[in-house]
Amino acid sequence: MSQSLSVPASQERGAASPTAMSDRWFSILLIVPAMLVILVFALLPLAYALDVSFRFADLTRGRIGDFVGLDNYRAVLHDRAFWSSVGVTLKFTLTAVTLEMVLGIAIAFLIHGATAGKGIIRSLMILPLATSAAVTGLFWRYLYDTQFGLINHFLGLVGLPEPNWLGDYTIALWSVILFDVWQWTPFVALIALAGLQALPKEPFEAAELDGASTFRVLRTLTFPMLKPVLFLVLVLRTIDSVRLYDAVAVLTRGGPGTVTETMTFYLYRTGLKLFRMDYASTMAIFFLYAMLVASLFALRPLLTQFSSRASEG
Amino acid sequence: MKSMLKKGLLAAALMASTAPAAMAQECADADRVPITWSTIAGFYTDAMAELVSGFEAGHCVKVNVVNIDNSQLYNKQVIEMVGQTGAYDVVTLETSEKAEFAENGFILPMTEYFADKKAQLDDVAPTLAALTTQYKDDVWGLPYYTYTAGYIYRADLFDDPTEKEAFKKRFNYDLAVPTTWAQHRDIAEFFTRKAGETLKGEKLTKDFYGVGLMAGPFPEIQDEMSGVLWSQGADWLTDEGKVPVDAVEKAMNDYLELVKYAPPAALTVTYDGVMNQMKDGQIAQTYSFFLDQWPNAVQTETSVAGAKMGVAEAPEKKAYIGGFLLAVSASSAHPKEAMDFVAHIGGHDAQMEFAKAGGTSTLMSVLSDPAFAAPESRGKTGHFSTLLEIFDSMKGFRSNLFDTPFGAKIYNTMQIPLQSAAAGQISARQAAERLAVEVEKICGGPCPIGK
Repeated sequence: MSQSLSVPASQERGAASPTAMSDRWFSILLIVPAMLVILVFALLPLAYALDVSFRFADLTRGRIGDFVGLDNYRAVLHDRAFWSSVGVTLKFTLTAVTLEMVLGIAIAFLIHGATAGKGIIRSLMILPLATSAAVTGLFWRYLYDTQFGLINHFLGLVGLPEPNWLGDYTIALWSVILFDVWQWTPFVALIALAGLQALPKEPFEAAELDGASTFRVLRTLTFPMLKPVLFLVLVLRTIDSVRLYDAVAVLTRGGPGTVTETMTFYLYRTGLKLFRMDYASTMAIFFLYAMLVASLFALRPLLTQFSSRASEG
Repeated sequence: MKSMLKKGLLAAALMASTAPAAMAQECADADRVPITWSTIAGFYTDAMAELVSGFEAGHCVKVNVVNIDNSQLYNKQVIEMVGQTGAYDVVTLETSEKAEFAENGFILPMTEYFADKKAQLDDVAPTLAALTTQYKDDVWGLPYYTYTAGYIYRADLFDDPTEKEAFKKRFNYDLAVPTTWAQHRDIAEFFTRKAGETLKGEKLTKDFYGVGLMAGPFPEIQDEMSGVLWSQGADWLTDEGKVPVDAVEKAMNDYLELVKYAPPAALTVTYDGVMNQMKDGQIAQTYSFFLDQWPNAVQTETSVAGAKMGVAEAPEKKAYIGGFLLAVSASSAHPKEAMDFVAHIGGHDAQMEFAKAGGTSTLMSVLSDPAFAAPESRGKTGHFSTLLEIFDSMKGFRSNLFDTPFGAKIYNTMQIPLQSAAAGQISARQAAERLAVEVEKICGGPCPIGK
């Protein structure tokens, strides 16, 4: 006959210190500061924006006004400029993110295979990321300048046409995309490179012994193993691209006309040039809703994968 | 009796001249009343610092100058006014912003303040005063700087015998400063040349353009178009508060005719870009350009060999009249001191100093001062006589754009459809119609006009 000396953990803690805080309350205490920050800087403004979206709020004609029901939502849904800005945002996001992913992954493979100078290349790649888009945007505006810009200068030297990068409505959005690709491709490349370097060597050695072709290794080993990392980068870049504001503000101010006016820039113009906080808040609510729905769909497979891994572990 | 009067006047003058110095001595830094002036960064900021010192020397006040980028000044000021923060005691307003600030109670009327200073008020160029200081029978401050537009051109090209002869042969009239839009368009077309062609008998190494335009995504495009529209006898808003679509379409089409003869960069630049084109020897003229840029434009004479700059009234004698109005915030904790400051900066002595530093004064007494018409002053004030002519030609002119409390919002929006048309994205008709829709949306119907 034996008698267990073990005591349930909760009883043990209780016995050791009857006044000590329970795990549950201790964990709540730990997250309180973060929740307070979120409450003050995210949830309260969000609730306020939601309230404003149901009211008349032209700041230059007084403070927040009367309740107007769904009028602002109806107005925004019938606003051609709003839908145009949605179109610009989608076009920008799809193109820029696709280019950044393709180029970033390609660059990561090149660096991964390099035998020397990896450190220098990695350091240089951080440079575009280390500077704000407002500063680099200004720099690019001068590069793009039709008359005095370096790009056209070199194009002229080799006898190529010199486009009006930011003034021609057919290419202005592409110029903004090119700038964004320049700035954010290194981010994709660096994350992909980190993912590549973290892959276990054994499966690749086995594949080599089995005589698998490079393409087969990429298709069946490299990309499936990199998928979680690449998916995360894709989600991060998509969210960031949808919020594009600074590059547009510095390079084109939404022009020519509204060709490069993204949702956030239109929101800024409505809220801080026309001071129609009601429309601006309504657009922000739409924007948030769209982002939430998109994020849920996008992140679901990733979260499922993480939770299944956790349960396996 | 006469000598007593003389002595009395002398004593009064002496007292008046020494009073500021004495006051400055009596006033300790800790006693100074702080006031804050929000103004535009880059517009003669150094000269302004001198003028501020002059005011502080005579008043127990400390002036904090907040320089804000031109593109953000309006938003920043509105936010502070709506929040009644009192962050700014004196604000700087564009012509189209005055009615909004006055109507919404953001600024204080200064009618009573100027009741016993009528001479100072009357010294402001009347055309400018009507557009910048007056709204609904009240005076709302003083303009301290005018950027009224005119015609700046390469006089050396107009004087060149080869060019004169070629122009006469092609258009059958003499090459001269244009007085009509048709002449202006002809001149723009005439001087537009490709690299390899000749200009003044010399082979061009790069393309040369007939006109410099500010058709970029900035409000300046409507400043340029204003002259064209106003010379038709139309305005951006009718007396009923609506956009006259047909008139705007016609003005837009006239403008589009000019875009053909402007450098491609016209679609991305504002005034500084046009000045760079001029100083780089790329353009022959710019028809509705801010004359305060004359000191900048005249530098072309040193950057381009053989260049000689000229300045004149815009074709049809109609151009944008603009000035930065200094007004006192309704939430100012020290309105009296703020009003004194406005009166000082907009006053004769400060404006004389401002003009000497290269600023473009708003006062008739300064603009007409013979010292500024002297040849040695040409580099800084050579445009003053033209400004006087413009003010005279446009005497009595009012624009509904400046008399609607929605003027600032309209002004901040109208560039979008206009620039879309300039870039070729939409037609002139579509631009005019879109402008009408946008304006109606901003005003919630026909715009109220408060003359």
